[in-house]
Amino acid sequence: MKQILCPMNGLRDIDEFVYGGVVRDMPDTAHCSDEDWSEYLFLMDNTAGLVREWWLHSPSGYWFIAERDTVSDVISATFDPSLFFTWAAAEHTQANSDD
Amino acid sequence: MPLTLIKAAFDRAIGKAVAADLPTTPELKSHYDVVIVGGGGHGLATAYYLANYHGITNVAVLEKAYLGSGNTARNTAVIRSNYLTPEGVEFYRASVDLFQDLSYELDFNMMYSERGQLTLAHTDANLRSFRQRCAVNQHFGGRTEMISPDEIRHLVPSLNMHPGHYPVLGGLWHIEGATARHDAVAWGYARGASRAGVELHQLTEVRDVLVESGRVVGVATDRGRVGAGCVIQAVAGHSSVLAGYAGFKLPITTYPLQAMVTQPVKPFLDPLVSSPSLHCYVQQTSRGEIVIGGGSDPYPLYNTRATLGLKEQLVANAVELFPRMGELRTLRQWAGLTDMTPDYSPVMGLSPVENYYLDAGWGTWGFKATPIAGKLMAELVAGDGGVPRLMQPFSLERFRSLNLVNEMGATAASH
Amino acid sequence: MTDSLDRLSAPAGLLIDRSRTVNFDFEGRRHQGLSGDSLASALYASGERALSRSFKYHRRRGALSMAGQDANTLVSVNGEPNVLADMIPLSEGLSARAQNTWGGLRFDALAVMNLLGGLLPAGFYYRAFYRPRGIWQFWEPVIRAMAGLGVLPNRAPHALSEKRHLHADVVVVGAGPAGISAALTAARHGASVILIDENRRVGGSLTYDNAHLKDPAQRIAELEETLRSEPGITLLVDSVCTGWFADHLLSVISAGSLIKIRARRCILATGSFQQHLVFRNNDLPGVILASAAQRLISLYGIRPGRRAVVATVNDEGLQCALDLQRAGTEVQVVVDLRTVGLADSALQEKLFQAGIRYEAESAINEARAGSRSGELIAVDIRRIIAAGELAAAGEIIYCDLLCMAGGTMPAYQLACQGGARLRYAEESAEFSIENLPLGMYLVGAVRGVRGERVSGEWSGIGLEQDAAHVASLALQSLGLIDEPSVAVSAASAPVNHAWPIFAHGGGKEFVDLDEDLQVADIQGSVDLGYRDVQLVKRFSTVGMGPSQGRHASLPTALLVARATDRLVDETGVTTARPPFAAEKLSVLAGPPRHPVRHTSLHQRHLNMGATMMPAGAWQRPAFYGSPDRRTALIQSEVAQVRTGVGAIDISTLGGLEIRGPDSCELLAHIYANPLRSLAVGRARYVIALNEMGFVIDDGVACRTAENNYYVTATTTGVDRLYREITRWNAQWRLDVDVVNVSSAFSAVNVAGPASRRVMAALCPDLALDRNDFPFMACVNAPVAGIAARIVRVGFVGELGFEIHIPSSRGAELWDSVFKAGRDHGIVPFGVEAQRLLRLEKGHVIVGQDTDGATHPDEVGLSWAAKPERGFFVGGRSVAMHRAKGIGRKLVGFRLKPGAGQIAEGDLVMSGGDIVGHVTSCGAPLAGGDTIGLAYTADTQAMAGDLLRLRALDGTLLTATIADTPFYDHAGERQEV
Repeated sequence: MKQILCPMNGLRDIDEFVYGGVVRDMPDTAHCSDEDWSEYLFLMDNTAGLVREWWLHSPSGYWFIAERDTVSDVISATFDPSLFFTWAAAEHTQANSDD
Repeated sequence: MPLTLIKAAFDRAIGKAVAADLPTTPELKSHYDVVIVGGGGHGLATAYYLANYHGITNVAVLEKAYLGSGNTARNTAVIRSNYLTPEGVEFYRASVDLFQDLSYELDFNMMYSERGQLTLAHTDANLRSFRQRCAVNQHFGGRTEMISPDEIRHLVPSLNMHPGHYPVLGGLWHIEGATARHDAVAWGYARGASRAGVELHQLTEVRDVLVESGRVVGVATDRGRVGAGCVIQAVAGHSSVLAGYAGFKLPITTYPLQAMVTQPVKPFLDPLVSSPSLHCYVQQTSRGEIVIGGGSDPYPLYNTRATLGLKEQLVANAVELFPRMGELRTLRQWAGLTDMTPDYSPVMGLSPVENYYLDAGWGTWGFKATPIAGKLMAELVAGDGGVPRLMQPFSLERFRSLNLVNEMGATAASH
Repeated sequence: MTDSLDRLSAPAGLLIDRSRTVNFDFEGRRHQGLSGDSLASALYASGERALSRSFKYHRRRGALSMAGQDANTLVSVNGEPNVLADMIPLSEGLSARAQNTWGGLRFDALAVMNLLGGLLPAGFYYRAFYRPRGIWQFWEPVIRAMAGLGVLPNRAPHALSEKRHLHADVVVVGAGPAGISAALTAARHGASVILIDENRRVGGSLTYDNAHLKDPAQRIAELEETLRSEPGITLLVDSVCTGWFADHLLSVISAGSLIKIRARRCILATGSFQQHLVFRNNDLPGVILASAAQRLISLYGIRPGRRAVVATVNDEGLQCALDLQRAGTEVQVVVDLRTVGLADSALQEKLFQAGIRYEAESAINEARAGSRSGELIAVDIRRIIAAGELAAAGEIIYCDLLCMAGGTMPAYQLACQGGARLRYAEESAEFSIENLPLGMYLVGAVRGVRGERVSGEWSGIGLEQDAAHVASLALQSLGLIDEPSVAVSAASAPVNHAWPIFAHGGGKEFVDLDEDLQVADIQGSVDLGYRDVQLVKRFSTVGMGPSQGRHASLPTALLVARATDRLVDETGVTTARPPFAAEKLSVLAGPPRHPVRHTSLHQRHLNMGATMMPAGAWQRPAFYGSPDRRTALIQSEVAQVRTGVGAIDISTLGGLEIRGPDSCELLAHIYANPLRSLAVGRARYVIALNEMGFVIDDGVACRTAENNYYVTATTTGVDRLYREITRWNAQWRLDVDVVNVSSAFSAVNVAGPASRRVMAALCPDLALDRNDFPFMACVNAPVAGIAARIVRVGFVGELGFEIHIPSSRGAELWDSVFKAGRDHGIVPFGVEAQRLLRLEKGHVIVGQDTDGATHPDEVGLSWAAKPERGFFVGGRSVAMHRAKGIGRKLVGFRLKPGAGQIAEGDLVMSGGDIVGHVTSCGAPLAGGDTIGLAYTADTQAMAGDLLRLRALDGTLLTATIADTPFYDHAGERQEV
């Protein structure tokens, strides 16, 4: 069984973690075309090689980002998401209202 | 003892040359009418039907390893059609029909064995979805019934009727559920294709797809470039990589699927038994081994390594279902690579590249689709541009128009 | 059967205790062995060499390796199939039987298969049994019955054993001289070490190939003492390492349980497997490996035979001959495949002095069996005239024992499981291992280092130093030492022969004993076009038997390479898959681990006679009373809630607590519903979608303070929803805390027209009338003195109060509710009644009325999902779906009593086409209509239109589409 170096909890067996998908940029939902949106939804890079992914340390509820090679299954680095996502990013999430 | 064996022994004794099933790999020609990438069951079946049913014989099958070395060799050889959607059921019914006659058609014993497949309902939600699957299957002429716990006890006396904390509330009894020798399916098609003139190229890896003005013109292999009138990709587990060479993406993520087999014992289990709640299915092969399978791995990977955790889980669940299996011993654990799609249905037919055709996205169901997929792919390529009716629901285009064919309900460890 | 053989005196017999006899039986006959014997050694000592019948030809087979490395020794012990007779210790009263016999080991009716061998080449079943159509159905059961080894008894194992976890800096697999050296080196430099060996005693080859030791028993005892007194070493003997998994996780079967060892570094000292030679009848009882003879002598004190022949490709056979002679076996001849002058001269001199004849450049043409015993009585030895070719005539030598030293194959399995590759060197005819995973090291014979002979005697020189050096590399990588120790030259004399295979016109030269495969089977597979070694394996089944090719892979590789005109290095061997050794399923399974969750009220439900049902991992009351009155009880519970008051345990509902300045922002992005306008103290039904716009969960969001929300979620969906929310916010970085409080709260819904009066008794200080505490309001207030959150919701369609309290107070609240409700006739109601009650209200249950690809508009929830208001998860997809138009719609329907029986899952038909299915249905009133929800393709369908339903027996029924809710359309009853 593999182990993952969780930035919060240290080295743990992989069965404590839940895979959360590849880190991807969402198109601007207010302005993107239907085609862009369906491509975002369904068409995957499915890279054979190094990818950046979301992983959750389930017992502690902590999400982080791992760089993993999808061929060798070697995890080369793990990061706290704040390294990639800042609060400022929240401003980019399109606002909404109740109306 | 069948006469065939006696005659074969006589032929061997007098030194009569035996025609090989699989030819040695020839030199690559510079151009083929059809290049099929992937020498697994699907690619070989496609070649067989092209050559034998459509007279298209200037065909090359390119296989990076040996014939049938991918998922054809790694699946657990379950054949069934008890799916959930009408599109899925009709498609797999057609496949079962072809399977039933395949040994005869290919003159090669596939050891097709109709054992019946029993899917156990442990919750009322299971019962609901099984009733629906049963009804859809019956509608398309399938032999499928809902059966009671008493009938299950009679059918599978070795089954624990209360595995884990799940009672057995009933079952989906798919009488046509079957198994076959998976390798033989590939070899039978390969032999039939090659005898009709198709070239089979083993140890020939495609490294690029050559596209000009939106139209495929050939492939680049580790043995050189090959021109092609059209190209079919049938490379489950690596579909995205090949499509990437051709310049487009697929709605596919690659996950390993592990399975294991025990040492052989004398026959005690006829039907194929699966439990969606326990994520486990079990069958006894004709060699006497017990094959145990479950769900896909929890994260994507292009690697067929084995994990201990999955084996422990598979075994725990199998022993829960069949307590006597506690005295069995493991023999081997392995994995295949599966193309998982968002709706658990395949991606077949046209692609964004002209004359480039897709046979992908089979998830854990590729083996049981082998004959029909090959037949329809051949019809597609040989036809006048129309997509065969049974294939239409599974187009790549459906994702753009959000017309998913939701087979999630037919999964949960019933490969 | 040969005569029983006397035991040798000490020092032979490392494992046995001559003072204690053990009675057992085999094939119904009583035998006596010694304490410490294996079943196979005790039988051998009794003159019983044959243990089994072979897989296909039903030939008699005896132990090949005496080390658990071949399938010949698989027997049934006390009913348990496929037990290795050479590994299982003898125990008093043990009862064993041979397997795969039809009538017994001695007179097996299927021995006739041996005569039919010529008809049954590899893969014969692909070419027959299928014409005429349908004939396979006749043959298949016949072939199945003949396959398989033991019979699996109809019983459960006595106990499923607990698993253990161990951790170490360095794990060393194999406690032979190299492994011991590596383990001691590592431990003495401060590493924590686990040393594993599959045998009962440490020492590896020293336990049987030990002529150079004065007193082997004492030497082994010393080694054990040294290892046990080393504080850093944990020694696991009688423990088989069955698998290597990523990041050095090893599975070890020890004393009937699974140990999972996590190590930082892994040193393999797994040794090598002595190979058999391939010649006609190389499988007869009496034909064994040279090391097996040495094990019989040294471990069990058994003289392996009276008259022996040794066939060898290296010096191991010469040593074996000397050991045999010393044990009192008369060695007739040593047949050496090598050319003259290649044998160790000192050893050859010893042979000469012992009067043992030595023939170089010779091999066995054929072994011969006694016509009655079926066991070895003679061999035909001949000169080698070319690779694999023997002279036309030879010499018959009578013997009852033939020992084979056919070269070695490194025990590569664990390394290859880790991704290592095998390479073959044509010069040495040996496989070596390369491309090891990071942190894995090899020492000893698996690395091709075997120790030198000095004056004909084996010595550990070179071997132990090399192992210590390799261990020091591991220590350096762990930072325990700065510099590795100096590398030593560890060149070893060649042990393999380029072509130890002698095909015979009569066949029966077995390449794979497990599968009864002969040279012609491998050649024949290649001839049929199965040229890749993996295809040869798949077609012929070579290497697929219980010993997984330990002895078959080398000759197969040689044969395939020659037949396809390639180098062995190109053909290679088949992939090594775990496990290395068979693992009993009960050991791998461990104790059952299917966690069941009970709410804090579980015992109360049982006391009230509830029939429980699973809901995910939870157990919930389906209804109260006996299952045989199911329908009536459910309908009665429904009636009680409609006319009086009932209480249901809803503790399994998920609950999320969301707090912080951005909590409103977060929820407005997660849920499809508008939530900004939700006032403090109010609640709202909400749905969550995935990015594809499909409904994944629903619940009620309560705004408990300006920046505080409490949101309920479905029982089975809450964990996934919580994960999704936290993942989104790991990107959005909103200033908000999200906590999954599902397990922290129990909840009871008190519902029915009389519920307000019950609540009044429970909460005397709380204003409960419709103005003070209206529908969809929430308040924090004590209930029966327990701090609670009360929400007025209407899932069942009556006046109702959901009371959420800390789980620890659940039972107390339940008791209080029933006490307060006694005067109002309060009853408990279960999940089934609740389903009917909500069905009457037309509320969907996510997961039952939705299918994972359900668009909100299809199930009447278009009002809840408004993409126009801006971003929320799934909103963009909802807009796309809406523009495209929906393809199906969930409608209510009614079916008159007597119109037929339908059930959930039945189909909705339009002409000959399936257009939908029934998702929910039931009859809330005894003798009343069946009502239900069903998908139909006709999105224009109106109340009063007909709906065609197909029952499972194929009958078509006609229902009438009805407006939902079926009950209290205006919602007056819940909003009072």
